[in-house]
Amino acid sequence: MSEQWFERDPLWFKRAVFYEIHIRGFFDGNDDGSGDFRGLIDKLDYLEWLGVDCLWLLPMYESPLRDGGYDISNFFALHPDYGSVEDFREFVEQAHQRGMRVIADLVMNHTSADHPWFVESRADPAGPKGDWYVWSETDERYPEARVIFIDSEPSNWTLDQLRGEYYWHRFFHHQPDLNYDNKEVQEAMLEVLRFWLDLGIDGFRLDAVPYLFEREGTNGENLPETHEYLKRVRAEVDSRYPDRLLLAEANQWPEDVVDYFGDGDECQMCFHFPVMPRMFMALRREDATPIYEILDRTPKIPDNCQWGLFLRNHDELTLEMVTDEERDYMYEEYAKDPRMKLNLGIRRRLAPLLDAGRDEAELLHAILFSLPGSPVLYYGDEIGMGDNVYLGDRDGVRTPMQWSGDRNAGFSRADWAQLYLQPLMDPVYGFQAVNVEAQLRTPNSLLRWMQRFIALRKEHPVFGLGTYKPLPGDNTRIFSHIRTWEDDIVLCVHNLARSAQAVQLDLSEYDGMVPVEMLGRTAFPPIGELPYLLTLAPRGFFWFQLRQEEQVE
Amino acid sequence: MDEQSLIEYVTRQRWYGAKSRTVSHSDVLDTVTIRQGEPQLSLALVEMRFDTGAHEIYQLLVSGGDGGRFDGLAEDAGIALEIVSAMRAGLTLQGSEGVAEFSPAKDFSGLGRELGAVRLVSSEQSNSSVIFDDTLILKVFRRLEPGINPELEILRFLTERGFRNIPALAGWYAYSGGPLTATLGLLQEYVAGAIDGWELALGEIASAPESFLDRLGRLGEVTAHMHSALGADPSDPAFAPEEPSVESLGLLTATVDEEIARVFLSLPEDDERLAPIVGRGEEVREQLRLLTHAGSSGRVIRTHGDYHLGQTLWKGKDWIILDFEGEPARTLVERRRKRSPLRDVAGMLRSFAYAATAAELTRGADVPEDWEERARERFLESYLETVDATLLPPGDAAIERLLAVFELEKAVYELRYELDNRPDWVGIPVAGIERLMHQAAEAL
Repeated sequence: MSEQWFERDPLWFKRAVFYEIHIRGFFDGNDDGSGDFRGLIDKLDYLEWLGVDCLWLLPMYESPLRDGGYDISNFFALHPDYGSVEDFREFVEQAHQRGMRVIADLVMNHTSADHPWFVESRADPAGPKGDWYVWSETDERYPEARVIFIDSEPSNWTLDQLRGEYYWHRFFHHQPDLNYDNKEVQEAMLEVLRFWLDLGIDGFRLDAVPYLFEREGTNGENLPETHEYLKRVRAEVDSRYPDRLLLAEANQWPEDVVDYFGDGDECQMCFHFPVMPRMFMALRREDATPIYEILDRTPKIPDNCQWGLFLRNHDELTLEMVTDEERDYMYEEYAKDPRMKLNLGIRRRLAPLLDAGRDEAELLHAILFSLPGSPVLYYGDEIGMGDNVYLGDRDGVRTPMQWSGDRNAGFSRADWAQLYLQPLMDPVYGFQAVNVEAQLRTPNSLLRWMQRFIALRKEHPVFGLGTYKPLPGDNTRIFSHIRTWEDDIVLCVHNLARSAQAVQLDLSEYDGMVPVEMLGRTAFPPIGELPYLLTLAPRGFFWFQLRQEEQVE
Repeated sequence: MDEQSLIEYVTRQRWYGAKSRTVSHSDVLDTVTIRQGEPQLSLALVEMRFDTGAHEIYQLLVSGGDGGRFDGLAEDAGIALEIVSAMRAGLTLQGSEGVAEFSPAKDFSGLGRELGAVRLVSSEQSNSSVIFDDTLILKVFRRLEPGINPELEILRFLTERGFRNIPALAGWYAYSGGPLTATLGLLQEYVAGAIDGWELALGEIASAPESFLDRLGRLGEVTAHMHSALGADPSDPAFAPEEPSVESLGLLTATVDEEIARVFLSLPEDDERLAPIVGRGEEVREQLRLLTHAGSSGRVIRTHGDYHLGQTLWKGKDWIILDFEGEPARTLVERRRKRSPLRDVAGMLRSFAYAATAAELTRGADVPEDWEERARERFLESYLETVDATLLPPGDAAIERLLAVFELEKAVYELRYELDNRPDWVGIPVAGIERLMHQAAEAL
């Protein structure tokens, strides 16, 4: 039997801080120039210290790596660079021992064109796998479905010379979509889930789920059949594996995304994509309106579900869920060099997007951590790592983790030329300037601040569990709101402006209570019936716990 | 027994650890019958579920079948004897969800004979103990956690390595099955006619300071032998010494540094006893940074984990080391984690400071002013001469620095604890922190 390190807690993900890891880029445990599971095990003490609760692994399966591993050629094996299934089991166990859970990316929608299923399907249309992919004699079907990778793919159909038919692919042409109308495909994918769940994994981040089914006359996204299948997946998981998480990646508007929660019987978590560009927009415009608006537009979700929130991740900063006008604004402000653009997004890391601004980094994390949802951090952003826009596709934000100022950034003992990508060496973000070792030793570093801030958030379940109430004051540069859970009332006030600001907030509902600032535990003047006046430093923020007067010394 | 009375019974016990939580359900996960005849005796794994969805599992001993009385151990010596004879016989007993295995320790002859007088000595935070004839002690673990108990694991390991300064292990019993796999209890030699090391210190610091210093010299040697033995087997993954990760010193520093910042932030300003350190938080943090500026932190091994004078006994002419369970408030996984042996050493050095003050406060003893300093020197000198040097960082300076970091960590923890619980004792950690600041300044 596998040992159980956690108390049973079906809602663990609601209070969790997630940390996204690119295995290849984290730490090289066998000196071959590429990160792996042995390396990850070596760095678990660091992750435990940082205080994150759940590690999200980018795709780890066997793959020709034409799309960063999202092109899987064998669901039951790891990419040999990362280690063996035994290494993976050891990693999960070691993470559990340190109180951290592990979820992994899983691509259900498609496989690599190298997958034996597709090879067989091409060669033998009448054979057992002949119907496992979406084949057609014409490329005219499903015309309403948009092309997602507009920079590289002219159509969702590609002609296969061998079979003489077109196959359907919502992403790259080397990633044929599986045919979920085939019951055997549905079963095969459940088999994949069970294999990894049996190894102890705590859940999956389901990649590109809106596109599982295709129907004529629709755009092929969010179809009822897709939801039905996901519900079945959830039921299968729940029946045998307690406390496991399904996290859906559905880059859609919130009103469509909520369908992926079902009635609390589909995916427990979904990413909230549109809130992310609006945080950056609000910062540039020095105006809180875009954040208030998108949160107003966000429907209520079932109690046993949660939003996943992030500032940056391994993909481009996606601008699919903004208006054309907003997109132009974002490109103008954050992607001055055309190399920074990719598809409908900006391929940059957090620190360069903020021009290395420390106050801005703290402010955005404060907003992220204060919103209703569970935050997801991207590896390297906790030390303010940079990117390399001269690398192809999204590799620019997937360079090696910068552990120290030593050779190869302390990432690997292989030869420099052997590394999968070279670590950054520029004077601002290079590993001599930005690394874990130096920041650990520097009490006021971004890393040390992040560790304290994560600890603060975790001390207060209200951030994961509480209600959200916007509390706009008389100053649109200020984003302020109230979170409440049981007796815990927290007031969060953020100044988006580059200049000091004053704001008057109507707190009359909390008349007589005392705001106690949460980082320094300083009591502020009690709330009265008149508007409460606060002044904030440029890009500054306050988090207050509202306490009854007698509780404050 | 119905659910309500089970909840009432368990939540009343001293070993019940979740007093502040609300129990929503209680359930008997499995029952293993130890004796069929009258009165029937059995052990039960009881799950307490909390309204937050979390749960804990406890071991109960039941006498008298289904409607029987819980906790046989307190009221009925028979069950303890029954457990010992099951160990002697090496029984495997079947429950409905798993099995309980009873095992005798190799070469332990004391188990072969009939046992007579039985007395329940204590119900502590995590376990209950029964003593037989003043020769054997049975510890029954109450709150169960998955995995092997470190006390059992370390006693077995040290016995195999021929380390004699521990009570001999006589046997143990464990459960494995659906609910969890865990050590349920262990039987070991009861060291009769020995004096607790803490009591001995309080008695002798003033009355016989020189001879007690000699004893501490011997304690240094015994501690060194213990660490050398714990780090002697590279083939056993649970014990093999390891190189700490590159970040380990950085992570330790950052953790201690945050703790210093937190404690000093809330230090009362008007307390005279705090005068030597109040307002000097930044200085302390600066010293910490200097101490950890560079250098290796040696290798990490399994350690005692909660090492101080109260964990030692003086018997005849030598020391015996007790209680390898680690700090009770930590999880089993944390308690089994490998650490630098110097962390144990720091714990012992801090307890010398406590002993000196306690002798004054509680015994009115007149402690020689330089006693603590000399005690430290004697203990450290013999420890460092004896211990396997490859476990420690290279060079005296590096050892001193790492030791100072661990002592600072302990002293800061003590400061917070004493402020909250025993304000009269707050002077001890204050003096400790002050001393470390001087020492750090000198060492650089």
